[in-house]
Amino acid sequence: MTSDLSTKLRKLLGKLTSEVDKTKPGSDQDQFSVMDLFIQLRKSAAGEAALAAFQTLANTSAQSVIEIVESGKAFTQENIDHLKGALTDLKHAFEQSAPTAPETPAATEAPTVAAAETTQPKPPAQETLPLPEETPLVMDIDGDGDILREFVNEGQEHLENIEQGVLALETDPKDADVLNKVFRAFHTFKGGAGFLNLIPISSLAHTFESLLDLARKGELVIDRTIAELILEGGDLLKQYVIEMQAQLSGKKPRGPFILPTEAIKAKARAVIESHTGKTSSAATPKPAATSATGGVKTVPTVVVRKPVVVRPPASASPPPSPAPPTLAAQEVPPPAPPAAAPKPSGKPTVESGTSAVPTAGGSSVKVDTLKLDTLVDLVGELVIAQSFVAQHPDLKAISNQFFTRSMSQLGRITKELQRTAMSMRMVPIGSTFQKMQRIVRDVATKQQKQVHLVLNGEDTELDRTIVESIGDPLMHMIRNSVDHGIEKPDVRAARGKPAGGTVHLRAFHQSGNIVIQIQDDGNGLDRERIFKKAVEKGVVQANAQLTDEEIYHFIFAPGFSTAEVVSDISGRGVGMDVVKRNIEKLQGKVEIESELGKGSTFSIYLPLTLAIIEALVVSVGDQRYIIPALSVRESFQLTPAMLSTVYNRGEMVKVRDRLIPLLRLYEHFNIKPRSTNPTEGIVIVLEAGRAARCLLVDQLLHKQEVVIKSLGETMKKNQALAGAAILGDGRVGLILDVNALVQLKSPSLQMAA
Amino acid sequence: MPPASAPSAVTAKSNVNSGKYLTFALGQESYAIHILKVREIIRLPDITPIPQMPEYVKGVINLRGKVIPVIDLRIRFRFPRAEFNERTCLIVVCVRLPSGNSGFMGLIVDVVEEVIAVSSQDIEATPDFGTKLDTNYIMGLAKVRDAVKTILDIDRIVAGDLLQIAPEKTDGQNSEVKS
Repeated sequence: MTSDLSTKLRKLLGKLTSEVDKTKPGSDQDQFSVMDLFIQLRKSAAGEAALAAFQTLANTSAQSVIEIVESGKAFTQENIDHLKGALTDLKHAFEQSAPTAPETPAATEAPTVAAAETTQPKPPAQETLPLPEETPLVMDIDGDGDILREFVNEGQEHLENIEQGVLALETDPKDADVLNKVFRAFHTFKGGAGFLNLIPISSLAHTFESLLDLARKGELVIDRTIAELILEGGDLLKQYVIEMQAQLSGKKPRGPFILPTEAIKAKARAVIESHTGKTSSAATPKPAATSATGGVKTVPTVVVRKPVVVRPPASASPPPSPAPPTLAAQEVPPPAPPAAAPKPSGKPTVESGTSAVPTAGGSSVKVDTLKLDTLVDLVGELVIAQSFVAQHPDLKAISNQFFTRSMSQLGRITKELQRTAMSMRMVPIGSTFQKMQRIVRDVATKQQKQVHLVLNGEDTELDRTIVESIGDPLMHMIRNSVDHGIEKPDVRAARGKPAGGTVHLRAFHQSGNIVIQIQDDGNGLDRERIFKKAVEKGVVQANAQLTDEEIYHFIFAPGFSTAEVVSDISGRGVGMDVVKRNIEKLQGKVEIESELGKGSTFSIYLPLTLAIIEALVVSVGDQRYIIPALSVRESFQLTPAMLSTVYNRGEMVKVRDRLIPLLRLYEHFNIKPRSTNPTEGIVIVLEAGRAARCLLVDQLLHKQEVVIKSLGETMKKNQALAGAAILGDGRVGLILDVNALVQLKSPSLQMAA
Repeated sequence: MPPASAPSAVTAKSNVNSGKYLTFALGQESYAIHILKVREIIRLPDITPIPQMPEYVKGVINLRGKVIPVIDLRIRFRFPRAEFNERTCLIVVCVRLPSGNSGFMGLIVDVVEEVIAVSSQDIEATPDFGTKLDTNYIMGLAKVRDAVKTILDIDRIVAGDLLQIAPEKTDGQNSEVKS
């Protein structure tokens, strides 16, 4: 039967029940309405094959009431009892033919109505039933290793879809596309888990799949509570995946493990039941009569409530819940998974990471990231080898035309190859940005603030490794923005700001760099407080003259925090220095702008690619060292006038009107230089942030592009080196870590003498 | 990893697999490494020294585009110094690093000898009396014809290096590296 009809019938039955209730023996009150309703019921049910029994009943009852009315008599108690019985039968018959419809046995909450029904009340306090025992997850790593890894990789993608989908549904709960997407994610998860016999995962996924199924059929509207529940479920699945990943990669010992899923499953099942009127375990046609209004009430209460309904719902699907205080509204178009987009979320393992490579046609392939990295490495080497061949004086002297043409052809192809290879490493920052939505939402909720996250430039592409590494610092800074930046609604109102704060997260290209900006319209940085704190911590002298930006940079000092209240989110002062270090490791820097009371803007500048850098090659003795060009301010030959020794501070060089400490590289590295006389060598001014050093070397050889090679774990402890590169003659050149060098204390006075 | 101390001599023995080993010489002594750990053997290439490293870390080399560290085993085991000559070789091994990842390392040795097959009967547990090496690094002793070759646990030797690496100078009085 159509839902319209079933609704109508339900309405009629409801009305009839209340009318019958009102009847009294010995009175003809309500006789007509009762009769009328029965006739309506009979008429409505006519022609419906499924309602044949119903119709017969309705007919019989209608007949008897008509008779009574026509006889002019009042209802007797017997009549009334009979009618009530008939009504119950009618309802039964109705439910038989419309089993999925929630039942509306009574229009009142009178417990007697419940008694009139023959539905069995659910065991009243299902909460007190002990939860079933947790099932451990068992993996057969030896047998299914590869498939398990694939499952884990794809699982991460599904979990992303679930999280983003749910966040989108919070603003638009009826979006069919998103509902389907989330449903399919759980469905596929369940399937894969089932195949691998990962019982707790497939059971958990199955529960949520059913929940989502109801939602996409329109029988359940996702409100904040349910969204929260789904997110919880997703988080739990994420925990499974993380643990599986750890065991598969050998980081944790193998073995079965248990995660608490039964509680969440029970909650989800309760939600399902309250919306279908069907217990998930037994397929009884007897519905559990609980309210179907998807309100903002907590789920457990639904379970405990006795089978009494508040009022019949107006339509098959309950009315949408009142909009919760707007939180984390997404301005971004619904996250339709870009078909060709790579997956930067799954961390590639050494054995088999995957990364999709978009093609012009929009289809994509999965490629092992190890292969990708090797390819890019080799292309880098090829470019350099090619340029050395092309630059070789002997070859340049050849005047053969064919040869010259071939060389240029070779050069062209190599450049094109490099461009393509580099682009394979590039990945849009969009999905990292999307992750921030959840963070903003969670923090804002916890602190009862209203925060709106606006994303911009998600298509901006960055080197894959940068995208992976920038995630954590970004998360921390966004957390800070919401936690310390954006004020509570009342404070904002007092300041004349809109109650909801906005955080802008942007990415764009600017003169060879990628810029990621976090801008909030919150508190802004308090220059005075920061300065005071810095003086307290001894980071700076009380009488130092510093620019605003220099003062703001103190927030990056370790252990620094001006937060008055340390939340569990931030304020402990351990975050920002790690953030700064991570950004520096990516050869980037941070700039801060702020206005007290208005807001702050953090701009992160990053190089476009990590693998190849422009570098200066210098020599000290017979060793060669490589300095990233980005960190070189200038270079010159010292004159005696520029050099001075400052008491207690060591040797200093006067560069225009600035005094910069001198660092003799041969001393630091213990090499025999060509000359120890500073005026016979070359000074390179290194800069990292505010700090600078004058580096003394023998000679400045040349500038070239180098491919950065990692020195490996063995050399990690060596502070002054950032890596190695292979120079034109095949020998290894060591790349200096400018950040480390500029922080070295000036050599002691003995050396200067 | 085989347990360190000799009392578990039985266990030490059973952990050493029979199989093929590459033997090489350091001075008068002969050593062996399991063949599966050996990647290649090359002539001694140009080594770029790395500053502020222990003496036995000679530096890094360019191995077909990869930069790998190189260790001088003579210095490592505190043998008297010797000049490199045309027989000095580099054995590139693949070791398991403490982080769990694997990495390449070069070992400078005097002479590379041969690949031999050793069966478990020919392997003896390490005796507990003093040798130049901490017995941690010895997996066992192999009896080959008339000679005895010391089977090295190369992962441990490398791991020991890594934990030790700090900018202090190593001198002869350094106690044995703890792994």
